[in-house]
Amino acid sequence: MAVPVIMPRQGQTVESCIIAKWHKKKGDKVSAGDILFTYETDKATFDEEAKDNGILLDIFFEEGDDVPVLTNVCVIGQEGEDALIFNPHTGKGQGDAGDKTGKADEEDTGEGIKIYAKRVWTSEDDEKAGEDDGKAGKGEGEAGDDGETAFPVDGLAGDKVKISPRARNLAGKAGIDYRYARPTGPGNRIVEKDIIALMEEGPVFTRAAMDDSLKAGEKAIMPGAAEGTGIGGRITTCDLERVLEKLEKTIVAESVSHAPAPAASITSIAPPPAVQPGLDFTEMKLTTIRKTIARAMHNSLMSTAQLTLNTSFDATEILEFRKKVKQNKDKLKLQNITINGIVLFAVSRTLPGHKMLNAHFLDDRVLLFNAVHLGVAVDTERGLMVPTIFNADKKSLNEISAETKILAEECQKGSINPDLLKGGTFTVTNLGMLDIESFTPVLNPPQTGILGVSNIVTRVKEVNGQYIYYPAMGLSLTFDHRAVDGAPAARFLMDLKANLENFIILLSN
Amino acid sequence: MPKSQFIDPREVRKSGSISFKDIPVNQYNKTIEEEKENYTKEDFMRIFRDMAIIREFETMINAIKTTGEYNGIKYNHPGPAHLSLGQEAAAVGQAYLLTKDDYIFGSHRSHGEVLAKGLSAIEKMGDDELYDIMKNFFDGKILKIVEGRQKNRSSIKELAIDFLVYGVLAENFARETGFNKGLGGSMHIFFPPFGIYPNNAIVGGSADIAVGAALFKKINKKKGIVIVNIGDGSMGCGPVWEAICLATMDQYKLLWEGEYKGGLPLIFNFMNNQYGMGGQTCGETMGYRILARVGAGVNPEQMHAERVDGYSPLAVIDAIRRKKKILEQKEGPVLLDTLTYRFTGHSPSDASSYRTREEVDAWMQEDSLTSYRSSLVEAGVASHDEFEEILENVKELITSTCSIVTDDNVSPRMDLVKDPDAIARYMFSNQWVEKMEDRECETLIPREENPRVQQIMKKVRTGIDENGKPVPKNRVYQLRDGIFEAILDKFYTDPTLIAYGEENRDWGGAFAVYRGLTEALPYHRLFNTPISEGAIVGSAVGYGMCGGRVIAELMYCDFLGRAGDEIFNQLSKWQAMSAGLLKMPVVVRVSVGSKYGAQHSQDWTSLVAHIPGLKVVFPATPYDAKGLMNSALMGTDPVVFFESQRIYDIGELFHPGGVPGGYYEVPIGEPDVKKEGKDLTILTIGATLYRALDAAKILEEKYGVSVEIIDARTLVPFNYEKVLESVRKTGKIVLASDACERNSYLKNMAQTITEIAFDYLDAPPVVVGSMNWITPAHELEEYFFPQPGWIVDAVHEKIMPLKGHVPKTNYTPNEQLRRNKKGI
Repeated sequence: MAVPVIMPRQGQTVESCIIAKWHKKKGDKVSAGDILFTYETDKATFDEEAKDNGILLDIFFEEGDDVPVLTNVCVIGQEGEDALIFNPHTGKGQGDAGDKTGKADEEDTGEGIKIYAKRVWTSEDDEKAGEDDGKAGKGEGEAGDDGETAFPVDGLAGDKVKISPRARNLAGKAGIDYRYARPTGPGNRIVEKDIIALMEEGPVFTRAAMDDSLKAGEKAIMPGAAEGTGIGGRITTCDLERVLEKLEKTIVAESVSHAPAPAASITSIAPPPAVQPGLDFTEMKLTTIRKTIARAMHNSLMSTAQLTLNTSFDATEILEFRKKVKQNKDKLKLQNITINGIVLFAVSRTLPGHKMLNAHFLDDRVLLFNAVHLGVAVDTERGLMVPTIFNADKKSLNEISAETKILAEECQKGSINPDLLKGGTFTVTNLGMLDIESFTPVLNPPQTGILGVSNIVTRVKEVNGQYIYYPAMGLSLTFDHRAVDGAPAARFLMDLKANLENFIILLSN
Repeated sequence: MPKSQFIDPREVRKSGSISFKDIPVNQYNKTIEEEKENYTKEDFMRIFRDMAIIREFETMINAIKTTGEYNGIKYNHPGPAHLSLGQEAAAVGQAYLLTKDDYIFGSHRSHGEVLAKGLSAIEKMGDDELYDIMKNFFDGKILKIVEGRQKNRSSIKELAIDFLVYGVLAENFARETGFNKGLGGSMHIFFPPFGIYPNNAIVGGSADIAVGAALFKKINKKKGIVIVNIGDGSMGCGPVWEAICLATMDQYKLLWEGEYKGGLPLIFNFMNNQYGMGGQTCGETMGYRILARVGAGVNPEQMHAERVDGYSPLAVIDAIRRKKKILEQKEGPVLLDTLTYRFTGHSPSDASSYRTREEVDAWMQEDSLTSYRSSLVEAGVASHDEFEEILENVKELITSTCSIVTDDNVSPRMDLVKDPDAIARYMFSNQWVEKMEDRECETLIPREENPRVQQIMKKVRTGIDENGKPVPKNRVYQLRDGIFEAILDKFYTDPTLIAYGEENRDWGGAFAVYRGLTEALPYHRLFNTPISEGAIVGSAVGYGMCGGRVIAELMYCDFLGRAGDEIFNQLSKWQAMSAGLLKMPVVVRVSVGSKYGAQHSQDWTSLVAHIPGLKVVFPATPYDAKGLMNSALMGTDPVVFFESQRIYDIGELFHPGGVPGGYYEVPIGEPDVKKEGKDLTILTIGATLYRALDAAKILEEKYGVSVEIIDARTLVPFNYEKVLESVRKTGKIVLASDACERNSYLKNMAQTITEIAFDYLDAPPVVVGSMNWITPAHELEEYFFPQPGWIVDAVHEKIMPLKGHVPKTNYTPNEQLRRNKKGI
């Protein structure tokens, strides 16, 4: 029997994924384990493997299509089997492999017509459908006040908000951005009563703000985000600007942090220079992840007051400690403790004493976190990814080391849960293994600090009138001067340095 | 089915045979010498002149069509030209004895008949009368043109000839100064003041219309006879046979009483040029060999049928003289087979590939103009020079007329830029005329003594009694009573009003609407007809355009198809094609059936609503039925009056106080809010109103949706104000009727509402109609006609999801697409 392959749900917050590449064509033979297609969220890329053997009977989406999660993407089955009933464009419910209509007449269902029927299907109808194939092509799912899924009638819902002229008219008169409305009309159409509901509950705009909001497009849709300062609580253009800014930051916070601000990603926003004829180049389309990084980095530099303090510390003790652990790790059943792990541990224990650096800066207020959620920058083939070690301050060195390793591996494989790619309160990025002596990490707003870790160089220092050689490891702290002044930031670095140089004492605390 | 006539089986089963009388063929054989006692020299010469005018007129049009020039006048005429070159003697001979009180009707090839009839009428009219006609016609517009230009005319008669030729030619060339402001054109020219009634571009189309004209003359005791000129080809047309049947009904001579007893004053004159399009009627496409034979099979009088040589004007005059007498003796109608020949093709595009040059030459050898002229010269009536002078004058007349008709400054076309309503204003006459003529109405009993009137007096005129309970069917004043009251009233007001159909008398009309009329009216005002729907409507058109008011009844709406041409091309068009000269006070009653399957249960409102020029009403309550019938019978426009058989017995549920006993009108074109509401509008046409009320009940009680219901009452014209007002309030509208959903008139309404109230719509207007199937048997009708549940389902799927509603029917968009893809 033919089975549909659905778009997996990658984390609770992911609503849809983009198909990046098809590895199989319609009609290809597939075996369990073969990669069918690659898909991307804005944070990660994944491969979907076949779970069955058979023929790829049909493909419902093309490369570049944004597919809602749990929607049928393709169908594997045996030659001659009917794949049409799984086609999400022709009326079957999303991800529902069950064949309620059974007798669907292929010709009748109107291939290629993007329609989801929305109505309640009852067992009575099942009987009817058996008798009357004229009723084929009905979908299911219930729309309405209970808030369950209402399927888009023409497949446009993802691209365009559907609204009745009457509702649009009313929204215009009342100064309502109708995209905030929750649609209850047929086919997810916003109807008059949805606007009335919004007028009672939702944001009301001034005329100018309304225009700006409409211009701002999809990104401006965030119910309740704006608080109006205009007459009668209306949202003004100023309010809207604030919201939009905040939204940008949220996007960054949710996606990426980091550090080595690659020059390319900054200049990439400048208009591309005219291409000289005859120049030898390869054009490479940006992946979703690259685009996200580019936007985040640029936004970081545009919207914060960041600067970097550099220092180094004597790494003798941590190197000694690591050596000992390495020698005894099997005996003590310890993880492979890395220098990076040690730094992360030290940061997690130092930050609670410097709350302004374990914080989110939000223009008019600062969120000071009690727990430390450490972002760890990981270099992957697809680009920079920053998984989070939640509650790092409560975790042992061993636990932090183990978690770091797993997160890094998942990032490399592309199987990281997107929920783990956000929520950090401070970030650590390490270019030490790449022989970098010092750098300026780029903040990950609304975080207020990011620590760069460099390589170890041998330095000379005077101890008791004697010059001695010691391994010095570089630390670069970028902080947001809007949130923190230079001295407190420097004090954090001093404390961190002390903790690292006296690591055994830190551990024993 | 009169009870007075006993069909005795012993009589009708007796053996015997039918014997026929001989039908005369070309029996005229008088010489000029013999005819000198009947005609003066002037008469002989005038006959020639009239033939020459037609010849030159047609020659001119032929030249313009084929060479773009006539006598140095360059002109392009893209319109039609069905010429009667060769048929002049037949036309002039026929018209010779006719006066303005005698009406002729014609065909697409009637230029000659029109000119001949006009010239004959002019000859017989006095100068004052002639001048008055010209002065009053379109405010003297044509008179001003010809009076100013052609100063060499010395008499009023000559001026009138100029007037006639100008009016006909200007009409041909679509000038606003033509006899019908250019709205009729070549194939439709007419001029009622001279007794010239419409020519018809539909072959045989005039036949049944002329029957109506003859009925008008007979019933309203008007002077004159009616001649309908149709071609030999039209003998193959069903409506022509129907017209013959309607015109030869036995009842005129057996059942009609007093001075109304006797046959119709009508001649079916077949201008037999021996070709119907490319077919030879004798020897190829028909079987009569000699057309006059057909009369033998119609009635015992054999329709006084005769073939006359249409190449001899004097033979034709002789025949008309004899036939006219028969009509005056009330022995009509007559069938005349006037043999003639057309020299040119059917139209300029016809290369005459179906006949030989020899044949055409042979007929040209015997050309009536040449032979008549020679016979007069031979008989010493006139010299060749005199004929040459006539021809010269005629040429001058046609040339000068042609030059002013083709001059855009003198003879402009309608300016639809300056006056965008120039045509629109003639689509309806919109007059309010209580009676078409002012005289005593002939009835059999006083109104109050009518048994039906007495029965209705005992009825309760509201559908709900004072306790809010429905009044029982046998006590309630029903919708059929409303229609009856309005019609009965009019029979006692307008003496010209007549009603007929296939079961109007004795039976009581379809569905007992006319019960009581038989007792009230003499035969000539209410009678039964053959099963000839085409002729029923066609004759009503003729009766109406002559100035009488008429109700034609077709029983089932499904039979509209049988009267297709009469409704779509004749009833609807003549007011506008006459530029307002004619009125059409005709009501065609049809009813939408149920229970009788595919050919007796269709709502065809959309078909008639599509045709410009018809008013279309469909009342659904007794109050509206009476009020709309009163309006229809007060107006001067054709009204197709739809009724629903489902609700003939319904009582009045809406109008406060019930149906008034006195006269009142419901204006045609005004919808009515039957129930107020605020969340959703339902607009219905016809009996669907009651199912919409049931749907409203479900929507209100189960889903809390407040419904407003509007009854369209009329389809054309339609004032959208109330509907738009409602939609502005509710934002949502369902439109429902029993018409099949595809191309239902409701779609038109939905489209209009969408365009005008777009910004007020909270959902697309949704049409709920019957399935696009055949109507099934009564037991399955609930799957075919819109039901209350369908309306609720449509609301749920397309307008506002109803919480917890489980649809039983499929109103989903992809089902809609599937059905369209399948054509079902």
